[in-house]
Amino acid sequence: MNLAKKLSNQQENIKQPAAKDISQYFDFSRKSSTVVILIAILVVIGYFIWWLNIPFIEDIFTAGTITLIMTLGFQLFMGNSGILNWSYVGYVGIGAFASAIFSMTPAVKTMQIPTMYPFLINLHLPFPVALLAGALVAMTVAAIIAWPLMRLSDAVGAITQFALLIVINVMLSQWSQVTNGPRTFTLGGKRLTTLWVALGVAVLVIIAVYYFKESSLGLKLRATRDDRYAARSSGINFVAVRYCAYVASAFIGGLAGGLYSHYILSITAASFYMSELFMILSMVVIGGSMSVSGAFFGTLLVTLLRQFLRQVELFLTRSGFEASGSTEIVVAVLMIIFLIWQADGITGGRELSWRSIKRRLPSGSKKRNKVLKNKKQEEKA
Amino acid sequence: MNNNTILQVSDLYVAYGSIQALHGVCMEVHKGELVSICGVNGAGKSTVLKAIAGVLKPRSGSIRFKGKEVAGSKPEQLHKMGMALVPEGRDIFPSLTVEENLRIGAFGRRLDKSYAADLEDLFSLFPILKERYHQAGGLLSGGEQQMLAIARGLISNPDLLMLDEPSLGLSPALVDQIFELIIELKSRNITILLVEQNAQRALGIADRAYLFSNGRIEYSGRPQELMDNVDITSVYLGGQNGGDV
Repeated sequence: MNLAKKLSNQQENIKQPAAKDISQYFDFSRKSSTVVILIAILVVIGYFIWWLNIPFIEDIFTAGTITLIMTLGFQLFMGNSGILNWSYVGYVGIGAFASAIFSMTPAVKTMQIPTMYPFLINLHLPFPVALLAGALVAMTVAAIIAWPLMRLSDAVGAITQFALLIVINVMLSQWSQVTNGPRTFTLGGKRLTTLWVALGVAVLVIIAVYYFKESSLGLKLRATRDDRYAARSSGINFVAVRYCAYVASAFIGGLAGGLYSHYILSITAASFYMSELFMILSMVVIGGSMSVSGAFFGTLLVTLLRQFLRQVELFLTRSGFEASGSTEIVVAVLMIIFLIWQADGITGGRELSWRSIKRRLPSGSKKRNKVLKNKKQEEKA
Repeated sequence: MNNNTILQVSDLYVAYGSIQALHGVCMEVHKGELVSICGVNGAGKSTVLKAIAGVLKPRSGSIRFKGKEVAGSKPEQLHKMGMALVPEGRDIFPSLTVEENLRIGAFGRRLDKSYAADLEDLFSLFPILKERYHQAGGLLSGGEQQMLAIARGLISNPDLLMLDEPSLGLSPALVDQIFELIIELKSRNITILLVEQNAQRALGIADRAYLFSNGRIEYSGRPQELMDNVDITSVYLGGQNGGDV
């Protein structure tokens, strides 16, 4: 019995196109609507806020955009590999300090951080170059130490990353000749990370992170997340693909760190530790760690929620009711609720695309119903 | 070893820790052959496939694939050489779409017209995969997942396709479909090494068979001869209706 014939007889209603055209089965541009939608949302919000011209709201947006870059870099590794990357904020910190050291003028450095190595004091680069150089430093650190760690998965992998975060944090908080030790590191000068700088970098990072996920490297990494052994017997070297993603993730983290330090203008090692990681993690979990859209909408939602809660907190404290810290509690509880009932976050781990929007629209579902009805009638006939 | 031999295993020893799983297995597969490995649970059937595919490291012995010694090679290297293992238990990638699952099988080849042609060819075998092309693999039914796993093995155009218990846990109707599929693949001259518990079905379609017991090959040769040997049937195949569903 010829199975092919038998099966195709069963499935007569499926039309088999004669043309052997690859675009029918694999089309990169078909998947690009996600990037366009996400960037459009971000730019429209950014433009509107710039037009409003209220410094308070502009600050919230700029800080939120920097956080978005952080979450995207975090999602790049964790979302695609399934390994909780605690050390990520450490790379954000390295990028923040490194780019600040590169961009500050020697005069400011001698005044602010007298203990600094002389060769670092004399280093001076323009802001965009310093930003890139800071990210490269974070990436280089990751590239040097990550290889032996990439073999480790699941709980062991997460614990190793946690230990690594401790190492990086102690380095940042004790190396007085570089980071001013536990004291505050003040950049001086004016704020270089403006709304448009943050927005521009965020647009580039959205593109990079999304196409990484869809590239064959990203596909390999997602396969190892699903099943490491099946991936290996499909010819995927899981250590190598994880390593590439980890290093790329450290680069984006370093970039976000550089933007952050040139926005906030005074940093300490404590700015890149548990509470920061918790914030990023809550955004990725609530949005949906498996998709770029998840990181995007998670950041948007949690940023708005935190701002709202902070206002409530302020209001309560002013009216004599001690409520400081309640924002963190609410976000943490929300994260727990999501992990129990909706572990894939609000996006369900899927990407927002033009198709998914059309399907939700009333006209789209009408069309689909019509098609289904026609199909049924054909089957009857 | 003649030119026609695609896989030659000799004196293979594999152990899980201190437990010896294979005791000096010798076997070979020729081009275009369908070779079946039968035996009861724990006889070492899957172990020998995993050792050949590089998932398990052999303790000693030699595995020659297309004339090259490959014992101890990594699975990813063997995959590049043209070996495809369809692991036990419908080992697909559940969060990836059917399209992405197939693309993973096709790593190492360009996504060009010949890939599209091969996909068309696959969809003539598995029309359901075309229908579900953009759905996540985890949303497919058990039988569909098994078909996806086999399709993923086939899309790399392997020189040797190894199927580990493809009928495991499927309904009788689906088992029929899978066996008809294997016959179809055989008629397309694909070299297949099949591990099956369903011994009577597997022997019915195989060119040659190896009967495993306690990590050793108890019998090898034509399936008809093996089936004629009633003693072996009753002992290792669990009686007349043992392998039947």
